[in-house]
Amino acid sequence: MSEKSEKFIVPIGPQHPALKEPGHFEFTVDGEVVTGASVRLGYAHRGIEKATESRNWTQNMYLLERICGICSHIHALAYCLGVEKLAGVSAPPRAQAIRSVVAELERIHSHLMWLGVAAHEAGFETLFMYSWRDRETLMDVLEALTGNRVNYSANLIGGVKFDINADQRDTILRALEFLEERTAHYMDIVTTDVVFLRRTRGIGTTSAAQAELLGLVGPTARASGVARDVRIDAPYAAYADFPVTLILHNVGDLESRFIVRINELLESYRLIRQILDHMPEGELTARVPRRIKEGETISRVEAPRGELFYFIKSNGSDTPERIKVRTPTMCNMASVPVLGIGQQLADIPMILAGIDPCFSCNDRAAVIHQGDDGDTWTWERLRQYGIDYYRGQP
Amino acid sequence: MRMGAMLTDVIRALFQRPATRQYPFVRTDAPERLRGRLHWDGEKCTGCSLCVKDCPAQALEVFMVDKATKRVVLRYHLDRCTYCAQCVVSCRQSALTMSHDEWELADTDKVLFTITCGDDADVQRMEELAPKDAVEQP
Amino acid sequence: MRELFAILFFPGGLFLLAGGMMYEWADHKLIARLQNRVGPRWFQPLADTVKLLAKEEVIPSGISTFLFIALPIAALAGALTSALYVPLGGLAPTYSFHGDLIVALYMLSLLTLCTGLAGSNTTDSFSLVGATRTLTQLFSYEAPFLVALLGPALAAGSWQISEVNTYAQSHWLLFLQPIGFIVALIGLLGKLEMPPFDSPEAETEIVAGAMTEYSGRGLALFHLGRKVELMVGLTLVASFYLGGLGNPIEFVVKTLALLLGLSVLQSLMARLRIDQIVGLWWRYGALLVLAQWLVLMLIGGFTS
Repeated sequence: MSEKSEKFIVPIGPQHPALKEPGHFEFTVDGEVVTGASVRLGYAHRGIEKATESRNWTQNMYLLERICGICSHIHALAYCLGVEKLAGVSAPPRAQAIRSVVAELERIHSHLMWLGVAAHEAGFETLFMYSWRDRETLMDVLEALTGNRVNYSANLIGGVKFDINADQRDTILRALEFLEERTAHYMDIVTTDVVFLRRTRGIGTTSAAQAELLGLVGPTARASGVARDVRIDAPYAAYADFPVTLILHNVGDLESRFIVRINELLESYRLIRQILDHMPEGELTARVPRRIKEGETISRVEAPRGELFYFIKSNGSDTPERIKVRTPTMCNMASVPVLGIGQQLADIPMILAGIDPCFSCNDRAAVIHQGDDGDTWTWERLRQYGIDYYRGQP
Repeated sequence: MRMGAMLTDVIRALFQRPATRQYPFVRTDAPERLRGRLHWDGEKCTGCSLCVKDCPAQALEVFMVDKATKRVVLRYHLDRCTYCAQCVVSCRQSALTMSHDEWELADTDKVLFTITCGDDADVQRMEELAPKDAVEQP
Repeated sequence: MRELFAILFFPGGLFLLAGGMMYEWADHKLIARLQNRVGPRWFQPLADTVKLLAKEEVIPSGISTFLFIALPIAALAGALTSALYVPLGGLAPTYSFHGDLIVALYMLSLLTLCTGLAGSNTTDSFSLVGATRTLTQLFSYEAPFLVALLGPALAAGSWQISEVNTYAQSHWLLFLQPIGFIVALIGLLGKLEMPPFDSPEAETEIVAGAMTEYSGRGLALFHLGRKVELMVGLTLVASFYLGGLGNPIEFVVKTLALLLGLSVLQSLMARLRIDQIVGLWWRYGALLVLAQWLVLMLIGGFTS
């Protein structure tokens, strides 16, 4: 037991059962209590932003869709909306409605998956298995609707690939009916099960002020009572015609993150039904030139995990000049080391899962340097570093 | 506040068949829209190469064997394909379609992944003009 | 000759290992079905064991090699020894003497103790945290579990397992000492480190806890020990609380019924934190079972 009195570091990752993707966390623990934490990201650096510069506008859509496996549609959507804005066209209303339907279906699958993952981190395997079993219904719907379970590739620049016919509408509505009943049941479980509440209530509480300070986005921020939802603040696709109700909860602990996400599920069911009932008629695609006019724009959408931000710059050719992606996990990740301090080691996976992290979204090159002196990498230095690295003499 | 909120699910499951799909033994039909293997109609193709330009994975190669008679050969790399269906959308002649029931395409032989479609005579001429890149054996 | 047979084949040795594997499979299968999954096939525990035994054992540097190798053996030996004193298969125990209940219980604890020591015998932080948790949990459930099993012994007036078993055949102690039964059942979950008491090996927190550095034979032996412990624990609780074990059929039916109860409990609960586990046992478990003991003693005092 002598080790208990010494402080030592528990490393979580890059390979760890709690993480499904690589990320590195170091928690200094005193017994079971965490006294210090640090995060290192960048293990999933694939150089996607740079790769976009050597592909044309159409090819990039499929590349960007693959930034994240869970929120693939929303990445392509953010990109398409940005490119359409640059080209000065907008997709027809029916296409926008279909985009919103797929985006909401994706949100449902993401939130149901999160419910399972968070339950798994708390050791509640039964809830994990059941929520994933029910998620499978939705995956089937997405497959029937779009043609793939994961990378839906529903978007085109200027529209969507497919229509929703009466058969598919019925399939969606039937699945939603089943899921609505199950979701209400899960809400009941996470708010009443005594053992599970012991792991969620009052754990990792983030106040609204703290959430603002850390710049949290998405359901994580909304669980702390910060009214922040791009679908409401700056409606895109069909959200202006089909308004979303803001889901808020103001406690900020893990339980309220469960409540917010489950309520968002119910809200998504309602919204999809509304869109399907009032589907605008018309074309599915608008004509977009292969070369996009010179200019730059930003595009913001609400991914399942929060605000997704795209900066797109065109030089008038058929390839983009620069594309910059900022994913919601990047914003939320800062809360993990802050909230983790003072908590039990056992709660750390839960706090980490609470922000619904997606490590592949954090496609960043990380430069680690010891010491406190500031360091700026100029373009020339970075280029030279790259050249030296590939010569094998960094 | 109660203990065992999932008791009803758990008890019900004891008398239910497992939800697991026994995939390789029991197969369910893929949905109509599933994006499976690409099919090409050589009669319709004009060899415009729009599909090649838009393919995000460089999975397609179009060879114009004879410009005058529009004899075209398409080389399709099954292993590079991401099944996004952009080529199907890009094709103005509707020469490309994706099948919904051919999706179990895995194999142990890499050579099988390069599919050359077209007339036998055209393919032969094309092979002379542009030989296949060597496929490394696993 | 008879002793050798008893130790190597029945009821010790091979029978125990095979039985332990079957019980583990039944447990996994039941949980899977409760979670609406298919679950493993019957030979999965055997396949796992064979695979682990065939694997290379990596011995980390900077630790005591002797302890690293000896601890799994001691753990399995402890579990196997304890089986000699319980009415396995509904038959009379191989060895029996006054006070063998205590010996059997401590032989079972040897496994947990060895796990804790094995975790402490590394420089890996997951193992150290796991070892601390294993031992902390041992100290929290051990006393209430022991007291819960002493309840029937007290009622039977003997601390000999076979005599308590005989006494239990005419008294369903499940109904006479319900609190003791519940504490024993939950204590068994703790002893076997099953959810919600799997904090010492919580994979999402500390990978495999004290077992993190073990691979190959050592891990196989620890796992075998755990399987045997499952079987012995089930036998013990079933014979004490579920009307005794008089014959093999009774044994199979009662232990499986108990296992079903354990599986349902496991699948219903999230993992408790180690501080919550300690709080639960000392705040409620120990007090409840002591209260029941007091009642038993008072009744005993008045009736005699």
